[in-house]
Amino acid sequence: MTIRRRFTLWYAAVLIVSLLVMGIGTFIEISEQMRHNHRPSPAGGAVKETAEMVVEAGLPAVLLGLLAGGWLIRRALAPVANLTRAVEQIHDRNLSARLPLSGSGDELDRLTGVFNAMTARLDGSFQHIREFTLHASHELKTPLTILRGELETALHDPAASPAQKDRFAGQIDEIDRLAKIVDGLTLLTKADAGQITLAHEPVRLDELVRECAADAQILAQPARIAVRLDRCDELTVTGDRHRLRQLLLNLADNAVKYNRPAGSVALSLQRENGFAVLAFSNAGPGLAPELQARVFERFFRGDASHSAAIEGCGLGLSIAQWIVSAHQGSIHFASRPGELTTVTVRLPLA
Amino acid sequence: MRVLLVEDEPKTAAFVRTALETEGFAVDVFDRGDHALAAATDGAFDGIVLDIMLPGLDGLSVLRRLRSQGDRTPVLLLSARGQVGERVEGLNAGADDYLPKPFVTAELIARVRALGRRGAEAKTTTLHLANLTLDTVSHRAERGGQVFELTAREFRLLEFLMRSAGQICGRMTIIEKVWDYDFDPGTNLVDVYVKRLREKIDNGFEPKLLHTVRGVGYVLKGPA
Repeated sequence: MTIRRRFTLWYAAVLIVSLLVMGIGTFIEISEQMRHNHRPSPAGGAVKETAEMVVEAGLPAVLLGLLAGGWLIRRALAPVANLTRAVEQIHDRNLSARLPLSGSGDELDRLTGVFNAMTARLDGSFQHIREFTLHASHELKTPLTILRGELETALHDPAASPAQKDRFAGQIDEIDRLAKIVDGLTLLTKADAGQITLAHEPVRLDELVRECAADAQILAQPARIAVRLDRCDELTVTGDRHRLRQLLLNLADNAVKYNRPAGSVALSLQRENGFAVLAFSNAGPGLAPELQARVFERFFRGDASHSAAIEGCGLGLSIAQWIVSAHQGSIHFASRPGELTTVTVRLPLA
Repeated sequence: MRVLLVEDEPKTAAFVRTALETEGFAVDVFDRGDHALAAATDGAFDGIVLDIMLPGLDGLSVLRRLRSQGDRTPVLLLSARGQVGERVEGLNAGADDYLPKPFVTAELIARVRALGRRGAEAKTTTLHLANLTLDTVSHRAERGGQVFELTAREFRLLEFLMRSAGQICGRMTIIEKVWDYDFDPGTNLVDVYVKRLREKIDNGFEPKLLHTVRGVGYVLKGPA
């Protein structure tokens, strides 16, 4: 029960009790007077007169009191409701925003001030973590560059034996994988901090989808996976061409990788109520319902037993989600284990 | 070709220097941006390899000052940041090329060499390598009288490799030039395409033209 309703009920109870007390008082007074004046009265005269007084004067007063009380309570609690709405808007991306103070210095103003101070502390911690991640990725690049450079020199050294070369090449692959993780992490951290500016230009999404379908076909061939482009409506969205291509390739790559041998991938792009709706479906192992909410989490790799053999850095869908939200769109993942997995992206049309 | 290498990390500077010198470049190394700017202003270099994060003066500032002085020496930017937008920022500041760290040494060398050739290459419409011919107007490829069907992407890949014949092409360069991606796709797209292309142009022919350079990328070259 809300504070407002509780206060209103208490207030109503107080008013009704007051009315009762008033009624009893009036009744006693009237009976007194009647006895004093020795006025013969019809039976129940005092009761009747009391009831009249209560109904005619008391009841309207109580109703008025209730209305006024309700209004007072609502007014008194309005800043709390505003505060609640404002606090609800706070999330990890707008921690630098502050709630407005009324300037009255009352209790609620103080509460707002405390909230602001708390948000500022959170903001500080979040920034600290981001800067830490950025610094860490930057620092990791230097040793990776040196390692890669030296291994490459060793790999192409004519004195190295074939077995040694195999080992060096394997190590280079791991360094490249590590570098990809570091790159993805830096990208997402910068995106979190709002440090990435995207282009804002008309992009023919259907052309990008056709191009992506052609690449997906080639990517899918080694696993004998068939790629179909079911539908491709001609449409334009506003955004960053490079990032949209990255989004498409990420989703296509996922659909191919998390598939079954000789499986299939279906792509479609269609216009729907002012949105471009893009769908990537694939037959594959799918994902248990309890894990589906986590697919956009960083480094989430699904069922470990399935994904151990699948190459990737575990950031693809997180990056896809960032690109979609940077284009004011939405992304949705639906899967039924053993059946179809579909990732649907909705982007506003230009 | 005389190259100015500006890199503050000693080990990186050392292996890049060795690699460049092995390939016949004369290399001057500086570890501070301000010193490098002075050296670049004084000396005549054919190319500059410039790290972005530098003490003294950062790489982008060095580049902007050079360009504002009217110095057009080709510049290859190196960056540990390797971020979206940074490439564009670097090219806008006047860089001729951009390579994110960790880079492939052979790719760095190929690009430094390309700096020296910038603008010099004539665009011929028919490319030849051994008995392989590619007509860039009709998109027709043939080897030894046999004509190949190429998809648009395969055609661009083959054209790029043929125009860079004899030079090692790193995956990053291929992704940039053939796909026009400014990001690492994180897939084996290049390898899968090269494999398909190889099946078309090399299967059943001798000598093989398309070779893998381990840890680096690919090279298309005729018999020595």
